[in-house]
Amino acid sequence: MNELEKTVRVWDPLVRIFHWTLVASFAVAYLTEDDLLGPHVWAGYLVGGLILFRVVWGFVGTAHARFSDFVRPPREVIKYLKDVVAFRAQRYLGHNPAGGAMTIALLLSLATTVVTGIAAYGGGEMAGPLAGWLSGIGDESKEALEDIHELFANLTLALIIAHVAGVVLASLQHRESLVRAMFTGLKAKVH
Amino acid sequence: MGTCNTLFGTLAALTFAGTATAAPVDDLLGTYQSQGAGPFSAERGAQAWSAEHRPEGSQARSCTSCHGTDLTRPGKHLRTGKRIEPMAPSVNAARLTDQAKIVKWLHRNCKWTLGRECTPQEKGDFLTYIRSR
Amino acid sequence: MSPRQILIPAAIVATLALAAGLALSDEEFYERVTRDIAPVKNSTYATECGSCHFAYPAGLLPAASWERIMAGLASHFGDNAELPADTAAQIRQYLVADAADRAGIGRSVGFSRYDTARTPPLRITETPYFMAKHHELPRRAVQDNPEVKSLSRCDACHTRSAQGSFSESEIRVPGFGRWDD
Repeated sequence: MNELEKTVRVWDPLVRIFHWTLVASFAVAYLTEDDLLGPHVWAGYLVGGLILFRVVWGFVGTAHARFSDFVRPPREVIKYLKDVVAFRAQRYLGHNPAGGAMTIALLLSLATTVVTGIAAYGGGEMAGPLAGWLSGIGDESKEALEDIHELFANLTLALIIAHVAGVVLASLQHRESLVRAMFTGLKAKVH
Repeated sequence: MGTCNTLFGTLAALTFAGTATAAPVDDLLGTYQSQGAGPFSAERGAQAWSAEHRPEGSQARSCTSCHGTDLTRPGKHLRTGKRIEPMAPSVNAARLTDQAKIVKWLHRNCKWTLGRECTPQEKGDFLTYIRSR
Repeated sequence: MSPRQILIPAAIVATLALAAGLALSDEEFYERVTRDIAPVKNSTYATECGSCHFAYPAGLLPAASWERIMAGLASHFGDNAELPADTAAQIRQYLVADAADRAGIGRSVGFSRYDTARTPPLRITETPYFMAKHHELPRRAVQDNPEVKSLSRCDACHTRSAQGSFSESEIRVPGFGRWDD
């Protein structure tokens, strides 16, 4: 009972399921590439669906899931990052300003990856929802779409690496496991 | 009663055993004979095997185009390059054991090579030749 | 962490894993999800049509193309490929049921496309998808390569084509090696 009083629910079940399903889907998509085209495409569609959900949830979801909770102007993000470097960063229950910026960046990068992927699929494989419009495009266009898709996939991976680094750093600085919090949804009330 | 059954059973077994081991080739040769062909000759079959034809003005063709002249060696499909197992029963025990298969391939390959169905005489000579290898 | 905090996520993961395992153990679903083209499942087709050339899986041509081919076996690309009526019917049924426009798996979708204003292509090598994928190949790799000779010989370079896999990483052109672009 004491434990319940000391913790607060920060991440609702949907946000948590979304987060870890996204991790799994992106991993599948990244690892299958076009060696296993079938699973790659399905993982990509799943990523797309998850992003759509998250955007909606960012407007109508629980307190800390909403964009209004963690999306901050660049000025604040930079100030926060400076505080992190100086080891005096404030602890946040939900996303801190840098985490908030990362969330938006990841959503944008993932969305672009998905859209360019669907386009490359329509042009190069003559399949998927854009096949009707794109199956007649020339070789250079096909290659360009594939290259852009690959670029954003790798950009997303870079963001993920930075994201993990940020999570580890924040966990160390505030002496709490943010990873565990994304599983259980709970964080300590007082710090 | 018992010996009667045993005798009947043995006779039946012998009869069926007989038909089971009778080569499809013999059956077919019998059919060709009833159509007026025969006697059959492996030498004639060998000559016909290498004879060249030009159906519909095509390039010269013969059985050797795909099967080669040595039936103990594998052949190669003229267009696709697909390996064809040797025709000679002495090296390929599966050859000449399936009547439907023999009929099908004689039909197709005569039409392609000669431009027409083979006569019962020609078919009999071919089978006699192949069987001897 | 309380036991509940571990058990609930564990239960969710276990259920998902079980569902995934069950789904993937269904062969048809597994094929639909993983293969580029469904491999040949009809043994009559494999035996009869595979006797002269690579047994092209049905998913490589639209149904209309297969109908044309089965209707013209007496003159099958310069060969006589006639079959007894019941055998031909069986084969036709497999080809049409699993054709590119019916299969709905992997790369079959691409293979199903053709200019509907024209007659359906007879050759896989004349489908827009095939041509788009192969037109950059130099002659010395295919037509002038004695170990390949023709684009019709899928299995000469696509090392796992018999299993329905046409992934680029599996290509080995005889005398050249891997193909990577």
